[in-house]
Amino acid sequence: MNTRKYRNPVGVSKYTGLALISPFIIGAVLFIVYPFICSFVVGLTDSGSFVGFENFREMLSSKDFGQAAGVTLKYALILVPLKLIVSLLVALLLNIELKHIGIFRTAFYIPSILGANLAVIIMWQYLFTADGLVNQLLEAVGLSPVSWYGEPNAAIFIIVLLRLWEFGSTMVIFLAALRDIPREFYDAAKVDGCGRVRAFFAVTLPQIKNVIFVNLILQTIAAMQEFNAPYMLTGGGPMGKTRTIGMLIYEEMFTFGSEGMANAVSWVLFVIIAAVVALMYKLTGKARRDA
Amino acid sequence: MKKLFKAAALCCAVTLSACSSRKTNSVTPPDGRLDKCSLRFSWWGSDDRHKATLDAIGLWNKKHPDITITPEYGGWDGWTEKVSAQMRSGTEPDIMQINYDWLISMSENGSRFYDLDSLDSFLDLSGYDDEILSFGRIDGRLSALTVSVSGRSLFYNSEVFGSLGAEYPKTWTELTALGKSFGVEGLYPLDLDIQSGGTAWYLAVVYVQQKTGKEFITHDGKLGFTVDDISDALKFYKSLEDSHVIRTVRARTDEDGNAALYQSSEFIDGRVAGVLEWGSAVGKYESVLPEGVLEAGPLLADESGNTGGWLIKPTLLYAVSGNTKYPDEAAAFIDFLVNDEECAELLGTTRGIPASKKAASALEKSGKLSGLAKECSDILAAADTVTISPYMELPRMKDFYNTAIESVSYGTADADTAARQMYGSITDYLEKIRK
Repeated sequence: MNTRKYRNPVGVSKYTGLALISPFIIGAVLFIVYPFICSFVVGLTDSGSFVGFENFREMLSSKDFGQAAGVTLKYALILVPLKLIVSLLVALLLNIELKHIGIFRTAFYIPSILGANLAVIIMWQYLFTADGLVNQLLEAVGLSPVSWYGEPNAAIFIIVLLRLWEFGSTMVIFLAALRDIPREFYDAAKVDGCGRVRAFFAVTLPQIKNVIFVNLILQTIAAMQEFNAPYMLTGGGPMGKTRTIGMLIYEEMFTFGSEGMANAVSWVLFVIIAAVVALMYKLTGKARRDA
Repeated sequence: MKKLFKAAALCCAVTLSACSSRKTNSVTPPDGRLDKCSLRFSWWGSDDRHKATLDAIGLWNKKHPDITITPEYGGWDGWTEKVSAQMRSGTEPDIMQINYDWLISMSENGSRFYDLDSLDSFLDLSGYDDEILSFGRIDGRLSALTVSVSGRSLFYNSEVFGSLGAEYPKTWTELTALGKSFGVEGLYPLDLDIQSGGTAWYLAVVYVQQKTGKEFITHDGKLGFTVDDISDALKFYKSLEDSHVIRTVRARTDEDGNAALYQSSEFIDGRVAGVLEWGSAVGKYESVLPEGVLEAGPLLADESGNTGGWLIKPTLLYAVSGNTKYPDEAAAFIDFLVNDEECAELLGTTRGIPASKKAASALEKSGKLSGLAKECSDILAAADTVTISPYMELPRMKDFYNTAIESVSYGTADADTAARQMYGSITDYLEKIRK
């Protein structure tokens, strides 16, 4: 049999290629792989002494971790579907051909650039305090004001609303996917007698299935790692009802100085996120393959 | 696979050795002379302290052009976390203003801070009483130098009290009675918090200490209160909420969000007319009200006039990092901060009444030993005070107090149940950290 040796089309050796990507590999090993392994090892220590899986045992039996895990999952379950729906609806609106539509697209993206920075947090604080703008609006339309910060079950919605407001990145990904759907598909659907709603379910959704999945994964991971917003807005209160696992890690590490426990919690969070993402892959497998 | 395992094991070994090596420092010995260098100095505080300290640094840099001081400063919120991260990574400033409990939480046996006794060539400690110096000693090492000794006392908005014709309370009973007259107007005579200040549990502890003569946490880190004492303290706190002396945790959270009291409209507008604060930090409350409106009130006593149980502590301390390459120069700068007359005048009472006799005397001479910090100091000096155990202020302990106060305030647990939980948590934790 005639075998032909593979020749690199640009005529460089494989070592050149390796050399070219080596900065990334070195960076990844130094700043990702090495800290990753180290954090697990530190998770097995307490004040520098090796304690085996004691931190993991203590954490899994602690009320604080149980509560934080519950808060994190609840937060992700509320935020992620809401954010996907809102950003898809806005993307649909911004997909129409209109003069100066770029201005609207930019305007809707701006909150995402701002993030949970100090100015936004201060604005949010004043919006939701007892006599803040939101309660004033509620009263103006005849509704009772809400105890946003003080009511244990309401406080998480302040954070959800902040993150929901920052839907720009998700919206941009949806918008790009929507603009990729060939016009002919809609024309054919129209010929077949489809209305706008039917066309959305029969054409749009199947065409952007994989993008919905990408957004679902990205947003779920971001929600489960949430730290900034509850840290600055509520401090985890009231009664720990907004203390996410991210906040717990920070408190263990920097407030209580328990680096072993902080790293152990980080690893458990990593495992939870990996499990949730794997479950999503499994549950959506058929639908994604059919797309 | 074997190679991969070996690599992982090597990483682990390196990490573990890094973990254990953090406990010991390669301390640069003092060489007895001042070298040309640049030093970092960090502190937290409010604007008045920042301005005064920057002026003092300016004076130092003018007098010692070869030793430049670079300031690092900010507000209290998040400062502990910042310094803790620096200490853990070995990137802390050469000279630091530290809190009392950091002696334990950031330097278990005092070894992460320089032994100031060994720097006596440039640091004159003759202006200090031995008792004051002892606050900064851990296992015999002078790990930090006390800047001032202070306690929390009560400060009131004189305009609000005047408009209601109310007197500043002298006893716990008078304080409780104020809730009625203030409540009619929708006002509160006092504020207690469970955020960064943690004044809610603090006042409850004072009340029970005064009543029982016991210390909440002893200096060797043992819990001095029984479950019943803790329960009494929680019931006292709840009685203040119920009698409209203070806002409930829910109301306070609703109105202020996560903002500090001195930044809230409730305090600035006078709806909350009193605060429990350190004499060394009251400036931030004073500055948001018109001049002279905030006044110091008497310490609360029982019906027999007993003012025991109020707490004092070294408000702030200066420490030199065990990692500094310039211990002599750092010591010389601390000496300047605590002993130099011109510097003392610039710093004034922004860190409380100086514990250094030289600085206090300079302020006395210049007529600057005045203001709320001085009044607070005098009030506490006249009382039968107790020195706070550094264990009482550890962050994990504050978490236990706040959890109990919050559950009593929200009604998710009665005082007895919350007290039992708090007693168990504190006992277990103190036992763990004393090992």
